[in-house]
Amino acid sequence: MALLDVSGFSRYSELRGQILPAGRTHPVDRTNHYSFGTKTPELALPLGVDPSAFLKSCNQEAGVSIDLNHGTTTLAFKFQHGVIVAVDSRASAGRYLASNDVNKVIEINPYLLGTMSGSAADCQYWERLLAKECRLYRLRNKNRISVAAASKLLSNMMLGYRGMGLSMGSMICGWDKEGPGLYYVDDNGTRLSASMFSTGCGSMYAYGIIDSGYKEDMTVEEAYELGRRGITHATHRDAYSGGVVNMYHMREDGWIKVCKEDVSELIHRYRKGMF
Amino acid sequence: MALQDICDFQDIFLDRGTSSLPFGKKTGFNYMRGLPFSNSTSLFNFYIPVAEYLDKSPLEFGQISPIQSASTPLSQDVTLPSLSLPENPLLSSPQPVSLPFPISHGTTTLAFIFQGGVLAAADTRSSCAGYVEGPAAQKILPIHSHMVSTTSGTSADCALWKRILSRELRLYQLRHGRRLSTSGAAKLLSHMLHPFKGTELCVAAIMCGWDGGEVHGHLDDTGGTKTDPGGCTETTKEIDKSVDPSLEKTQSSFSSVGGQQPLAREKRNGSGPCMFYVCSDGTRLQGNLFSVGSGSPYAISVLDQGVKWELTLDEATSIAREAVYRATHRDAYSGNHVDIYHISSKGWIRRSREDLKEEYYREKERRERGIRQIMTLSEENMKQTKMA
Repeated sequence: MALLDVSGFSRYSELRGQILPAGRTHPVDRTNHYSFGTKTPELALPLGVDPSAFLKSCNQEAGVSIDLNHGTTTLAFKFQHGVIVAVDSRASAGRYLASNDVNKVIEINPYLLGTMSGSAADCQYWERLLAKECRLYRLRNKNRISVAAASKLLSNMMLGYRGMGLSMGSMICGWDKEGPGLYYVDDNGTRLSASMFSTGCGSMYAYGIIDSGYKEDMTVEEAYELGRRGITHATHRDAYSGGVVNMYHMREDGWIKVCKEDVSELIHRYRKGMF
Repeated sequence: MALQDICDFQDIFLDRGTSSLPFGKKTGFNYMRGLPFSNSTSLFNFYIPVAEYLDKSPLEFGQISPIQSASTPLSQDVTLPSLSLPENPLLSSPQPVSLPFPISHGTTTLAFIFQGGVLAAADTRSSCAGYVEGPAAQKILPIHSHMVSTTSGTSADCALWKRILSRELRLYQLRHGRRLSTSGAAKLLSHMLHPFKGTELCVAAIMCGWDGGEVHGHLDDTGGTKTDPGGCTETTKEIDKSVDPSLEKTQSSFSSVGGQQPLAREKRNGSGPCMFYVCSDGTRLQGNLFSVGSGSPYAISVLDQGVKWELTLDEATSIAREAVYRATHRDAYSGNHVDIYHISSKGWIRRSREDLKEEYYREKERRERGIRQIMTLSEENMKQTKMA
């Protein structure tokens, strides 16, 4: 994708336009994805369909049995040694468990991570698009993109499609010249920076744990433990979160993947007296 | 109320024979005829609400004709509900009147059992549709000397039903010479609320009590006759020995078996701490840890982390306080102060109400100290590298 843009490769549609005279562009030849062109930013819209109305009709009353409900728990917090990102791995479609082993963290580049919550399709697509834009930035400017700029790009993409039924709650975490960075970006276009976030329907349970255990001067091991506990207790109480805890640690020299532990074993460890 | 029943006092309103009394307004009299638990002859005479009032909004009780005044602005709303709702006997009235303001229930209450009895904690903010209606509400209401109920939902409903429950438990105690168990009290409350299932009544209570060996004729519990919540006395006496002798057996058996906690926690001789969650939709659950309200998810994960059977009273209090604090920190509908009650074999004790604002500043101070430590450490490191 990125190489295609940079090398000036002209698309099939443009060639076709030169060959065939005038006129009717085939629907296939229209912009089929969002593009941050410097001169002509393009927005792709589906033909003749109102996306938000369509999504509203996909529920039980209209006879569709697959609910588009999305459950997850993701959390991230900044501390003195970087940023910890921890997510669960369950994908649900209403009452049906689609998968217990989904990767909800997208590794944009060695210095940037994005988490996903909400609609899995939306998150995967838009964050991959963000990865493309970040790569283009790097190639054009010879410097890595800052976390603030990356999150702004994502937020602008969301704003372009505001009101059309996107569902995405993502945290962009990275380490740039300013130090560790953590931003929360929403499908409404919300973009917030703080030192602690948790998203998803299990987020309330995670907030209780990380709020009470958070200290600015934690050691690395304490921070890992806090992230694990937050996700584990949230999966214990929330039916739509579960699977494994995927944890990443964003350090000055890039991110490392800390662990991938099953929450059922973790909850037994933490609550010996409970069972 | 209780005394009236005991001495068979014939109140004009309660006299079933004279049903044609033209006393008062028509609607008012119909309501009065069915006072809850008014008949003194049978033990539990359940109040069946008058059917035509079930589908009217609470606004209309006791009023002559509020509908005429409110009908015009609501005429648009009137047609919609009758088209979309399925035929529900309760909702088949032609004019669903909307409430004057949306009733919303925001709170954080929690309770758990540990070796020293039951600990109940709640915040004190009462909210009404986005406004903080009062910063000093009483959400934990004592029922009698050895039972307390945390309330969540509509505060008016909770206050009324708590009073009715207190009265019935007192009557039971006077008739039988012993207190009704927590399980029985929860069952009673659940049955009392059952006729209102499907209406706007909203009560979610955790009944926390200590079922004890009651000596026959021992009728002077301090909390038993007090029915107004404002009268609960705040005692500062601390229970040092929070382990009840009847529970020492359970503790030692726990340590020998090592991990078989549920067995060890069973009550011996039917006495010991007990907790039930009762809800107006009919739920009645026994458990060791509950949290109810809009702030409950935040509190319950903190409790999951820290609550164990072997906690001391101080540890349990600090965990409860921390859990309510975290919930009030994140939930807009909870806040202000925290009330903590401890129920043991000797009865309930209320700790002084603590302002969570202080807790917030204390934590801020702690965090700032932590950051300052990091700064000084990094400065020292820099100095060392410079010198080296």
